[in-house]
Amino acid sequence: MKDIVITGMGVAAPPGIGTEDFWHNIRDGRSFVGPISRFDSSLYPSRIAGQINGLESYSERLSPRLLKKIDRFSHMALVTSELALKDASIDLHNFNLNRTGIFMGNTLGGWLFAETELRDLHVEGREGVSPYMASAWFPAAPQGQISILYGIKGYSKTVIADRAGSLMAIAYGAQILARGKLDLVLAGGTEAPVTPYALLCCNTYDLLSRKNDAPETAYAPFDKNRDGLVVAEGAGIVTLERLDDARKRNAPLYAKICGFYTNCDGHDRVVFEPEGLALAWAIEEALKEAEFDKDSIDYICADGAANASGDISETRAIKKVFGKRAKEIPVSAPKSMFGNLLGAQGSVDVITTVLSMMFNNICPTINHRNPDPECDLDYVPNKAQQKDIKRALVISRGRGGINAVMALERLRNGHKPTTLTGGNHYVS
Amino acid sequence: MSVEQEVQQIIIQTLNVLPEELKIDERLYDSLGVDSTEMVELVIVLEKKFGITIEDKQITKFSSPREIIMLMEQKRGTA
Repeated sequence: MKDIVITGMGVAAPPGIGTEDFWHNIRDGRSFVGPISRFDSSLYPSRIAGQINGLESYSERLSPRLLKKIDRFSHMALVTSELALKDASIDLHNFNLNRTGIFMGNTLGGWLFAETELRDLHVEGREGVSPYMASAWFPAAPQGQISILYGIKGYSKTVIADRAGSLMAIAYGAQILARGKLDLVLAGGTEAPVTPYALLCCNTYDLLSRKNDAPETAYAPFDKNRDGLVVAEGAGIVTLERLDDARKRNAPLYAKICGFYTNCDGHDRVVFEPEGLALAWAIEEALKEAEFDKDSIDYICADGAANASGDISETRAIKKVFGKRAKEIPVSAPKSMFGNLLGAQGSVDVITTVLSMMFNNICPTINHRNPDPECDLDYVPNKAQQKDIKRALVISRGRGGINAVMALERLRNGHKPTTLTGGNHYVS
Repeated sequence: MSVEQEVQQIIIQTLNVLPEELKIDERLYDSLGVDSTEMVELVIVLEKKFGITIEDKQITKFSSPREIIMLMEQKRGTA
């Protein structure tokens, strides 16, 4: 993949809305996981999550008339798309909307809306169900809502691949741009899992940590005492352009998407293939497409499933690819601070990694107190690490053995970042 | 409250629009950009509020508030 660049970033996650707040809150390793406050979850085995507050105050363009028709996952997608466009200094009037596309990842759909209506169906009957239900709940609804808000009409797609969905969405958007079919792409993911039914599904899959009494320590990837991940709500969207086009309009140039690969373990419905062979292969292929020497990788943003199967197979895959040097590469899971955004996690990992590149600061894996002997890499435990990062990998994995790996390269030619606003300090 | 006032209030509240946006003689589609799903919601609310049944196509997005008021008055009168 050649010369596709990230020119804008929008994020809404438990640590903050907008890259400035988000980065300010995650760079030091604080936890943003807490008890679920939206509904009574007292009978759930896992009743903790990363939740977003204050979304409404970022919704100036979104009328009450629109908000009543959409689910929270579309709402978050609309807010982050606006933030990304603003960050990229993009006025869509200057773009051909037929050559602008949307690529979104999502896993669960809009259950906050759907559950309310299903309750109404059973209580009030057929006529109790909102007519907006049909267009609010399904996983591609955010793609549709973004396209309607801006009048975007180009080649677009929603990707459903569990926790790997939004990394794939960014990669597919970049590939379509590279083929010349589009001039601008909005790509990322959105997820709203903090609802009674969605949380129940995650619980019955035995995916989640049950450390309800100490939520801030619950998500502990690569730690011997981990017991699963913590879900979080949020969205992350980036704008993608061809490098030449971005330079012509003097756009912020954050990072180049250089390589991507995705494959399947072909092993089991619940656990990953123990040796991480398919993931290792995916890493090799992403590096090959990027034309990156293995020795040039400065950082890996890990999937960090926080279960034995995920953590050990991910560690083995990294060791298989990088050999002795594996232990020298910082490998962290910043999501341990705020929870896993499932179908939106890959895009938030990309944004976190780009921010780490900008500020020479690797966010830590928190709650890493008792290392699993099988997980013996440098997971950047508990404290951020200062490091110059030029090249990085982002790993996303999904249930059923989905692997996705993206290779990124920093683009800022030595400019020292001073502020996040506008991003113009990073123009090459 | 008259039927006219009641219908206007229902349209404003159901569609989440401002009172000044409502144009009594203009088609809902033209004045408020109402879509077919919004019309389904509006019909359900009107049916519940007035205790009547509205047949398909008696009210559409191409109806004006005045036409809806007239229909409600007629239906209430014959209910």
